[in-house]
Amino acid sequence: MRYGTTIKVPFGPQHPALKEPECFLFEVEGDFVVNVKPRIGYIHRGIEKAFENNTYMHDLYLAERICGICSHAHTVAFTQTVEGLVSLEIPQRAQYIRLIMAELERLHSHSLWVGIAAHEAGFDTMFMYLWRDREMIMDLMEEISGNRVLHAINTIGGVRRDINDEQANKIRKYLDKFEENIKNYIKVLETENTFLKRTVGVGILKPSDAIALCAVGPTLRASGIKNDVRKDDPYLLYDEIPFEVITHDGCDVFARTIVRCEEMLESIKIIRYALDHMPKGELKVKAPRTFPPNESIGRVEAPRGELIHYTKSNGTSKPERYKVRSPTLGNLASVCKTLIGAHIADIPMILAGIDPCFSCMDRILIKKRS
Amino acid sequence: MSLFKEAIKQIPKKPVTIKYPFEPGIIPPGLRGLPIWDMNKCILCVLCQNACPVSAIKMIPKGPDAGIVYDLSRCIFCAECADACPKKAITITDKFELATTSKSELIFHYKKSQ
Amino acid sequence: MFETIFEIISLIGFIVFIILIAFFYEWIDRKFYARIQNRYGPLYTGPSGILQPIADFIKLLLKEDIIPEASEKRIFSLIPIIYVLLPILALLIIPINGKGIISFEGDLIFLMFLSAMITLSVFLAGWSSACNFSRIGGVRAALQMLSYEIPFGLSLIGPAIVANSLCITKISEWQIANSTAFIFLQPIGFAVIMISLLAELELIPFDVPEAETEIVAGWTTEYGGGRYALIRLGKDLELVMASMLISSLYLGGIGQIFFIPPIVIAIIKSIIVLLVMSLIRALFARYRIDQVISGMWKYLFPLMILQIIIVQFIG
Repeated sequence: MRYGTTIKVPFGPQHPALKEPECFLFEVEGDFVVNVKPRIGYIHRGIEKAFENNTYMHDLYLAERICGICSHAHTVAFTQTVEGLVSLEIPQRAQYIRLIMAELERLHSHSLWVGIAAHEAGFDTMFMYLWRDREMIMDLMEEISGNRVLHAINTIGGVRRDINDEQANKIRKYLDKFEENIKNYIKVLETENTFLKRTVGVGILKPSDAIALCAVGPTLRASGIKNDVRKDDPYLLYDEIPFEVITHDGCDVFARTIVRCEEMLESIKIIRYALDHMPKGELKVKAPRTFPPNESIGRVEAPRGELIHYTKSNGTSKPERYKVRSPTLGNLASVCKTLIGAHIADIPMILAGIDPCFSCMDRILIKKRS
Repeated sequence: MSLFKEAIKQIPKKPVTIKYPFEPGIIPPGLRGLPIWDMNKCILCVLCQNACPVSAIKMIPKGPDAGIVYDLSRCIFCAECADACPKKAITITDKFELATTSKSELIFHYKKSQ
Repeated sequence: MFETIFEIISLIGFIVFIILIAFFYEWIDRKFYARIQNRYGPLYTGPSGILQPIADFIKLLLKEDIIPEASEKRIFSLIPIIYVLLPILALLIIPINGKGIISFEGDLIFLMFLSAMITLSVFLAGWSSACNFSRIGGVRAALQMLSYEIPFGLSLIGPAIVANSLCITKISEWQIANSTAFIFLQPIGFAVIMISLLAELELIPFDVPEAETEIVAGWTTEYGGGRYALIRLGKDLELVMASMLISSLYLGGIGQIFFIPPIVIAIIKSIIVLLVMSLIRALFARYRIDQVISGMWKYLFPLMILQIIIVQFIG
């Protein structure tokens, strides 16, 4: 049906579907979106400049605060980048602990997202169940690192805390329960008719578009493309651990949900393997305070996708330049493409489908020239 | 309807919510809470001040006020100071209910005993 | 003279009773819904939080009252009152105490009119708010009404044909006299009335007019303070109305069993309906508006026609 005229509907900066302030201006014809214009920069915090004014050790805590959900992924990327400046090798046990924390974080991030997706579809009971189970993972992380969200477990040259046998057994016990529940939920999500109606065929992102628009992470994998930094460019000890890259051919929001659910199961397997094969040994090696002039890059598979940190050192204890490219920025172009032609009612589902984290992403401010 | 079995199972169960302010919260061992200085061990070496990423710790080296001024309102509970301390004078407690209504209560002045 | 005064007092007493019941039902709904989700629900106001809906109501009354500058002010401020009055009027017809307070031949038609008026007032509320979200919510409510109103009407007609009366009290009495219930005689009709009343009450899976994540609070977005308190009360009253209607039409009617007075029977039966509604609310995700409309016309309408044919020519 053609209406001939379009109306502009603003979506944000304040909107219940977006938990963070970001504006999307939709041009709507009848019930369908014909054009969408994102406007980013509402939560620009000048974090890259702040990096340049602190020492590397202090920057670690700044890196942790880029994102509230994938805080550990950011510190892994940071330490990887900074250690890369002097090619520092960190002990095996430290790598395993970093890896276990990273996978626990993936579990908590993905279960959070699947809950959000269910909530966007009006499936509040599912949302409550998933967040209830996520609390187990949060408890585990709190027990290991001493805090629920900002773990502060990484340090340049290793990790700060150990995982003892008691904690390892507790992780195993909790994961058994978590795995059982997640398997149950996958079954529910795959058969619940109302949820399928809202997600199957919604927000189609063709594989060719996904590559052309630089989609990353589960969004890309849900379009059937096998791409995972953990496999393609292994960091930590991911090349030693057997795991599979989950893909789905659905290309829609449902595929993104299932990819995330099944990635959780893979993560559980990885954690179990890591706990069983963790060698005894040192936790950290001594890291230098100043770094010689060099450039380094760190690539990490954060729960939302590929995360890139870049740094340039100049021989002092402070970086010359620091750059962060978070996965949401990579997914933004693809989500704008998928939104065109969608129902108004599906906008929150599609927007939430990339698991957006706008305060991670906002490092640009576009000012109109007068 | 596929959630039916799960939903029915939940009804007789006790809810998982912790009635936190009325019940004590669950504090795991090793929680990073309020740091406390033991001034008998402290040697005023500045290492904790240097390690602090947010400048919450200030050391006064001399005079009658000599000691550590710790500003809780700036603290991010990273426990770097405890790691940096060569004499293990800083202990990380599991106190986390630290809200007050006046800012002066957030500044702790540990004086080096004369 | 005294009789009139007594009647007025008893009417006011009845309305107060209905409002208290409405708050009680909201509490049951919230508590049960929370329990399914492994939460506590209201907890601290009164024993097990039973006074929470009343506390919410009073709190909202004390809040600042805002009327948007651009709104159609008269309609905007009138709607909440209408929204409360319509379900109360409907509850006067439904035989809560064995016999409706206003009971006449053809009150079933009047009830259909009232339920349509409720949706109309929702549409007007959305339209007069002069807000994009409210407007979309109002239009969605009206669209949804177009889909469920006819199956809903037909599901009321089914029992009326068998009982040979258009009076709800008589339909209820017919069931008691024949000691049967229409849920057994017309199961399709029961399913249809449940579904269409879920749509009428804007509960999941049909809460499209106030889909939280899509259009904020739908048609109630611009309402606040006392007016919003009234709208919430209206919703609770609608919940009572729907559950009472189902229990009097389909669950064997409302009348005295042994020594138990009919009012207790009414409350027990309607609480059962309420619990089923809460359970349904917890088990589903939300449909999209076009899926609601096409689904209602594709499945509900033919099913209900089939039920009427069965009733007319076989049963």
